[in-house]
Amino acid sequence: MKQNPYAGLKKVILAGMILVPLIPFILVLGIGYYYFTTSLENNTIAAMGRIVYDHRQMIESFLMERKADLDFILNTRTFEDLRRPENLTQVFKNLQKGSHAFVDLGTFDENGLHVAYHGPYQLSGKVYDQAPWFKAVMKNGFYISDVFLGYREVPHFVIAVAKINQGRQWIIRATIDTQIFNDLVKKVHIGKTGEAYLLDAEGVFQTERRSGGSLMRKDPDRPKYGPVHEGIKTFIESDAHGEPFLYATTWLKDGSWLLVVRQEKADAFKALRQASYLIVLISVLYGAIIIAVAFFLTGHIIRRMERMDQEKDQLGEQLIRAGRLAEIGEMASGFAHEINNPLQIIKSEYALIEMIFADLKEKGEIKESEDLAELEDSIDQIKLQVDRCADITQAILQFGRKGEPVAKDIDLRSFIPEVAGMVANKAGVHGIAIEQEISGQVSNLHGDPRHLQQVLVNLLNNAIDAVIARHGSSGGLIRIESGPAGSGHVEIKIRDNGSGMSSENLKKVFTPFFTTKPVGKGTGLGLSVCYGIIDKIGGSMAVASQENVGTTFTIRLPSAK
Amino acid sequence: MEAMKIMLVDDEERFLSTTQKLLTKKRIDVVTAASGAEALETLNHKYIHVVILDVKMPGMDGNETLKKIKRQFPLVEVIMLTGHATVESAIDGLKSGATDYLMKPTEIDDLIAKAREAFRKRLALEEKILMAQSRKYMKSPREILKEAEKPGQ
Repeated sequence: MKQNPYAGLKKVILAGMILVPLIPFILVLGIGYYYFTTSLENNTIAAMGRIVYDHRQMIESFLMERKADLDFILNTRTFEDLRRPENLTQVFKNLQKGSHAFVDLGTFDENGLHVAYHGPYQLSGKVYDQAPWFKAVMKNGFYISDVFLGYREVPHFVIAVAKINQGRQWIIRATIDTQIFNDLVKKVHIGKTGEAYLLDAEGVFQTERRSGGSLMRKDPDRPKYGPVHEGIKTFIESDAHGEPFLYATTWLKDGSWLLVVRQEKADAFKALRQASYLIVLISVLYGAIIIAVAFFLTGHIIRRMERMDQEKDQLGEQLIRAGRLAEIGEMASGFAHEINNPLQIIKSEYALIEMIFADLKEKGEIKESEDLAELEDSIDQIKLQVDRCADITQAILQFGRKGEPVAKDIDLRSFIPEVAGMVANKAGVHGIAIEQEISGQVSNLHGDPRHLQQVLVNLLNNAIDAVIARHGSSGGLIRIESGPAGSGHVEIKIRDNGSGMSSENLKKVFTPFFTTKPVGKGTGLGLSVCYGIIDKIGGSMAVASQENVGTTFTIRLPSAK
Repeated sequence: MEAMKIMLVDDEERFLSTTQKLLTKKRIDVVTAASGAEALETLNHKYIHVVILDVKMPGMDGNETLKKIKRQFPLVEVIMLTGHATVESAIDGLKSGATDYLMKPTEIDDLIAKAREAFRKRLALEEKILMAQSRKYMKSPREILKEAEKPGQ
């Protein structure tokens, strides 16, 4: 039951010790984490945006360069010039020197007739007036196609440029090596999973996608990229396989191609994840340390408090005991005093009876008989019992002694051997050795030597009785020790190897009328009288005992000034 | 020798009567008083050697009675009978002029022994006084001559 207040207190202290450092820690960590992740996320997304922007620039400049190449040809040559295949071949070779991206080169008249061609296929003479690219180039002056199969059944795309020259329009068209273009678009490297690819407006792959997505196939994720937009868009979306990706998209070629740069979210935010792991690790470690320290300190504090409370209880008990003893002393001495008057009368009556008896016998008025003998025995008992009562009241009155004792300086170095000498004979008869160890440093006491003697003799007699009870007539040992006890006090210890006391008896040892001796052998007042005497001198008395090991009485007295 | 006359002073009637009987049987002349006032009254008209005086009595207590007795009848020997059984209360009595003290419950023989001792002291004292008084009247021849030379004195 006594544990309960401590348990409650323990919880409060523990909670305080854990929460007080943990709350600011969590707050700091949380705020730090929030700003850190936000900034990292923004950085990652911004980096993605920059990459897609740069990449677009690169792709656009590639396309523009190729267009510029063709523009250059168109501006420096005439239709007549380039309708001759040998001239076209010459021009193509020059082109090839500038860029290997060109696969073939063809010249067309305004009707869509392929008048000259240099390349791996046989395309001369074909008419393209219905082809969408032809219509577009006729209308806009230039055209960059989507990837398509065309007559060759191979994915490719073309750049065509038209020019009006000497009153007639003519066109040159070049096919771009999809492999080179593909490599150019694909060559983005971001983390492990970063990739770039081009889609047309319908979502058909214009370049291969590294993570799967062949040329000319349709990207199932097209709807997620939304309609044509200006600038760069970044977003996080799951792809067809449910894998979340960080996307950055931008439209080029006037909204006909979509450049997509994407990276698996886990990969893109790898640093973020690592930071999270680190934070969790630190939190767990720090939390564990806080909890461990809190438990340790709380345990320490609670143990300390328990000990202090115990000490307080003990002190309280001692005070109560001392107070109770004083009260009992007052009461007992009043009682003893009152009882002495009737005892005196009984004693006088006894004396009278005895005298009258003697007279009657002398005069021969009563004869000797068995009854008479019994009567006399009975009367003797009255005297005996009255004397016994008188002894008890005497002891009680000593216990509740009033007035000041006659104090003198006592030198323990001579006093103790003197007192020990008083019981030496009795001890010797029962084979008990009395050892004395009196420190040379022991200072003088100030008190009534008769009282101190009474105390020591009483304790020594008790010790002798206890030793006899355990050892009979040999093997007994009583040891008297004395020395300074610090802060102006002197200590006297009387230690025996006698029968000892149970802890139950030990509690009552100073209580008046408590005795373990048989009726008539002890009044149960000896130790309470000793306690009272020592208390009056300003000292204290303590006892420690263990059954069948022995008892130690410790007297602590103020030394003389 | 003159017979010892004792007065017992105690508020316990039965103690007085029984002890009186005992002492009378031992041929000791005893009177009793139940209080300090009665004791003083008795001393006024009776010749008493030794007073045995209980310390604790209602009204005038033993020590007070002792002081009055000693003031009015300085020759009377007083033995204090104390129920306090402590040296301290007896010391108080001795300081106020008591001859001795007895502790309750006391043996009748002890009481008689102490009373006799006090009585002897009283007799010795009386004898000294008697001697001193007789000195006053017994003059040496030289003194008589001296007085004759100075008739004016």
